[in-house]
Amino acid sequence: MTHEHAPRVNHRFDPLTINRLGLWLFLVSDASFFIALLSSRFFVVGTSTPEEVAQVLGLSLTILLLLSSLTAYRAEAAAEHGDVHGAKRMLLATMAMGIIFVFGVGFEWHEAFKHFPPSTAFGTVLFTLTGVHVTHVLTGVLTLGFVYFRVRNTDSIGDNQWAVEGAVKWWHFVDVAWVFIYPTLYLLK
Amino acid sequence: MHKSIQETLKTGWIVIGILAVMTVAEFIVAIAVDDKAILFALLLIAGLAKAWLIIQYFMHFGQLWEHISDAWFGMLSDDPEADGEED
Repeated sequence: MTHEHAPRVNHRFDPLTINRLGLWLFLVSDASFFIALLSSRFFVVGTSTPEEVAQVLGLSLTILLLLSSLTAYRAEAAAEHGDVHGAKRMLLATMAMGIIFVFGVGFEWHEAFKHFPPSTAFGTVLFTLTGVHVTHVLTGVLTLGFVYFRVRNTDSIGDNQWAVEGAVKWWHFVDVAWVFIYPTLYLLK
Repeated sequence: MHKSIQETLKTGWIVIGILAVMTVAEFIVAIAVDDKAILFALLLIAGLAKAWLIIQYFMHFGQLWEHISDAWFGMLSDDPEADGEED
């Protein structure tokens, strides 16, 4: 290849810059999907919430997801500071809480079917919002599991630093989505 | 400058503490306030504040500006070294 045809490489675009900007762009686009779904609640049923909504379960799920954000944050911090064993422990804890959250939503659905099945207006909103969100939670658990799989037999994070950071950022995004879903579904009157 | 692991973990505990208090406060406010409009406004403010805490401290939103700056000036740059053109 002659010099004239050599590709121009701009070294200011390092891989980490590209990765972070790309992930943020994706998160913003996914957030717009949640905003559309959240707004649909007000078009379909206004602000009214049935009395049968499981308030304590909703609060418990919220606290669980917030706690999982702390363990995810600690996993990233441990990885950044070279504590690979701490990172692995925190990744596992985050995944465990994510799985408990999924079962919690499953229980919520079991109860919701009795009071407001998907054929009702509120049921449509609840099953759609929680369904889309729990799908994100599942993908988050799978992503964290993939990252854990990559580092499980290593003594250093090495090239997996971005993998941990990206998976953890995705998990926090799922948490941010729930921060708005929880009051929208459970607390409004 | 990077924070020490202790400082980083302390930040995490403080943020999660504030988030927990705000979540319980939301729950109590939802029980106590009957006015729909006021309740909606209070929950929206609380939700935005909680989201900001997570985005700012857990997702490190601040570091994004440095990358945007890098990308922007990288696109504008005619510096041969920055563009990888050595001659």
